[in-house]
Amino acid sequence: MTASSFRLPPPPGPRAALVLVLVRVGRGLREALLAVVRPSLVRRLLVAQLALLMLLWVLGIAYLLHQGGRAFLLLQSKQIYPTILAIADDTDSTPERRRQALDLLHASIVEEYDTSPERQPAILVTRGTQVLYRSRNAPEIPPLDTGGALVTVSTPTQRLHARTVAGPHGLRATMFGPNDGWNLLRTIYSDGFYLMPLLASLPLLVLPAWLSIRLAMRPWTAVAREVARRGPQELAPLAYRDGHRELALMVDAINGWMRRVAESAQRERSFIADAAHELRTPLAAMLVNVEALRAATHDERERQLMTGVLSSGHRATRLVNQLLTLMRSDAAAAEPVVPQELDRLLQDRLAALEGLATARRVELVLSAEAGLRIAGQRGAMESLVDNLVENAIKYGPPGGEVRVRLRREGGQALLAVEDQGPGVPAALRERVFDRFFRDPAQREPGSGLGLSIARSVVAGHGGRIVLAEAAGGHGLRVEVRLPLL
Amino acid sequence: MPAMKILLIEDDLDLGNGVRIALTDQGMDVVWTRQIAAAWHQLSQQPCDLVLLDLGLPDGDGLQLLARLRREHGSLPVLILSARDALQDRLNGLDSGADDYLVKPFELAELLSRIRALARRSYGFDGELLSLRGLQLHMPTRRVSVEGQPVELTVSEYELLRLLMMRAGRIVTRRTLEEQVLPGGPGNASNALDVHMANLRRKIGDGWVRTVRGVGYVIDQETR
Repeated sequence: MTASSFRLPPPPGPRAALVLVLVRVGRGLREALLAVVRPSLVRRLLVAQLALLMLLWVLGIAYLLHQGGRAFLLLQSKQIYPTILAIADDTDSTPERRRQALDLLHASIVEEYDTSPERQPAILVTRGTQVLYRSRNAPEIPPLDTGGALVTVSTPTQRLHARTVAGPHGLRATMFGPNDGWNLLRTIYSDGFYLMPLLASLPLLVLPAWLSIRLAMRPWTAVAREVARRGPQELAPLAYRDGHRELALMVDAINGWMRRVAESAQRERSFIADAAHELRTPLAAMLVNVEALRAATHDERERQLMTGVLSSGHRATRLVNQLLTLMRSDAAAAEPVVPQELDRLLQDRLAALEGLATARRVELVLSAEAGLRIAGQRGAMESLVDNLVENAIKYGPPGGEVRVRLRREGGQALLAVEDQGPGVPAALRERVFDRFFRDPAQREPGSGLGLSIARSVVAGHGGRIVLAEAAGGHGLRVEVRLPLL
Repeated sequence: MPAMKILLIEDDLDLGNGVRIALTDQGMDVVWTRQIAAAWHQLSQQPCDLVLLDLGLPDGDGLQLLARLRREHGSLPVLILSARDALQDRLNGLDSGADDYLVKPFELAELLSRIRALARRSYGFDGELLSLRGLQLHMPTRRVSVEGQPVELTVSEYELLRLLMMRAGRIVTRRTLEEQVLPGGPGNASNALDVHMANLRRKIGDGWVRTVRGVGYVIDQETR
C-alpha cells in the first residue's frame, strides 16, 4: 500500500498522521536498504581490494609470528635463563631456599599470563639426570637437553615448546610453553601492536579506496551518461575516444549495435521514402486527368463523382507528402543546422499558406516578436509551421481566424497556433501525436501524420510541444517551445 | 492574343497526356515530348513561349537540359515539374535557371496560375510598364497612375507599390518589404512600414492593397 492511497478524513487525526510518517520512514529505510543490497561494481572492487589487503596483512603477521616467536618469545629471552641458572647455582647448598627462590621467580614470570597452569610457562632445572627444581606446572618428563634450540615436546596431554640452556657446574635450565593455536592468538593479543593498526586503519582505508575506485571508474560513468542522454534517433558513434581497454570493448560493441540499428532504420526510411516518391507521378497523372475531365463535363452527377475522386486523390497526395516529410525529419542529419530567424520564417510560411486559408475563408493573423533566433534546419522548421498552420486552417470553421503568436519566454521561443475549431479532448492530447492516430470524432479528412511530424521536428530541435485549449475555451492551441540562440 | 505555345517534356505517359489535354482545353498550344533529344529537335524546329520540364527523363537529367536551354535560348521561361520536393532539390532547380518549381502531384489550377504568371512575366511586361487592373507603374519615369489619374508618391511609397505589383497575386512579407524599401532596413522604428503603407493607401485609394495581418501585403490579380 502506498501513502498516496490512504484516504484521510479531513483534518487527519494524529494517529493517521503517525501512520503516514511511519510509512514514509519505512519506505525511506527500504530504499536505503535496496541501495545497499543492489549489486555495485564499485562495492565489489572495494570489497575485493580490502579483502586482499587483509589477507596480505594476516599473511605478514603470521610470518612475523612464525619467525619471531615460533610461538613463545619468553622461551627465547636471553635474560631469563642466566637468572634461573644463577639462582640455582647460588642456592646449590640449600635446596629449600632454591625451591623458594625459583618458585618466586616462576610466580613473577607467570604473573602476566593466563591463570590456567598448563598455559603458563614452566621451569625445570636439572644437573645430569637429577631434577633440582620443577615448577608445579612443569610436565612430568625426564630431563632433556635441547642444546639452546627451541624444540617441541609431546606429553600425553599436551604439546609444548621447550628450550634448554646450559649453565655453570652442569646446571641446565629448561623452560616450557604451550604450543598451540591459542598460543598464537595470545601472542597476537598480548602484542596488540600487530593487530591494532589493522583494525584501526581498515575504516580509514575504505574512504580513499572508494574515492580512488570512483575516480578510476569515471570514463565508465561518462560513457553511461552519454548513452543515457541519447535520443531515439541519435545513433552516431559515442564520443568516447580514450580507449581504456575494458571500456573500449563495450563502447565498440555499443557503437556497432547502434550502427546496425541506424542502418536498418535508414533502410526502412529509404524504402518508405522511395515508395512515397514513386507514388507521386501516378497520383499527379490521375489528378490532372480527372481535373481535365471534370472541367470538360457538364453533367452535374458526373462532376460530383469526379470531385469525390479528386478529393481522395488530394488526401493520398497529402499522405504521401507527409510520409516523405516524416522520413526526412527522422533522418534529420542530412540538413545543416543554421541560425533561423523565426519571425521571417513565420512570415514566409504564412504567406505561402495564405492561398489555402483564403480558399477556406479563414483569416491568418500573425503576431511575431522580432529578433528571436534558434539553431535549426530550414526544411524541418518549414514543415513544422506548415503542419501546425494547415491543421488550424483545416479544423477551424469557415470565416474564422487562425492566430499565430511568437514571443520570448525566458530562454525559449514560444510559438502558439490557435484555431477556433472543435479542439482535441484532453484525454487524446498525447495520442494525437502518434503516427496515423486520428481523433475518432473528427470528420475532416487527414493523414494522422501532421502532429507526429511536428513533434519529431520539435524533438530534433531540443524543444517541447503541447496541446491545450485555446483562449476562451473554444478551439485548439498548440504550443511549441524551442531553445533560443 | 495568339495561343501560348508550350513545350511539355515529361516521360510519364498518363501524366503527359493528362497535362497536354488539360492545357489544350485551356486554349494553349501544347507540344509533348518524352525525351531530351526529341525536345531539342522540337526547339530547333519551332520556337515556344514556355517549357514545362520533368527532371527524371529516360535519356538524361532535366537539369542538364535546363543548363543548355539557358545558354542557347536565353530567357525562355521554364517551369520544372518534379516529384523531388526536398528544399535542396528546389534550390538546385531554381539555381540552374528555372523560373518556377512545382512539385508533383499538383492541382491543375495551380499549374495554370503558375503558367500564366510566367507568361505575363515574359510578354505581358515589356520591362518598363507594369499594369494591373487599374494600376499603372512606369518604371523609367517612376510615374504612377490609378484609373488613369496620376498620383504623386514618395520614394518609399513608390518602391512599396512596385514590389507589390511585380509580385502581384503573391503575398510580399513584411520582412521583405522592410529590407527592400526602408532606408535603414528592418530594425528601425517597428511601425515605419505601416506608416508608409498607410500613406500609400491614402494616395492610391482603398481596395488595391490587401493586408495579411502580421505576415505582409498583397495586390490581388482579380478583385475579391
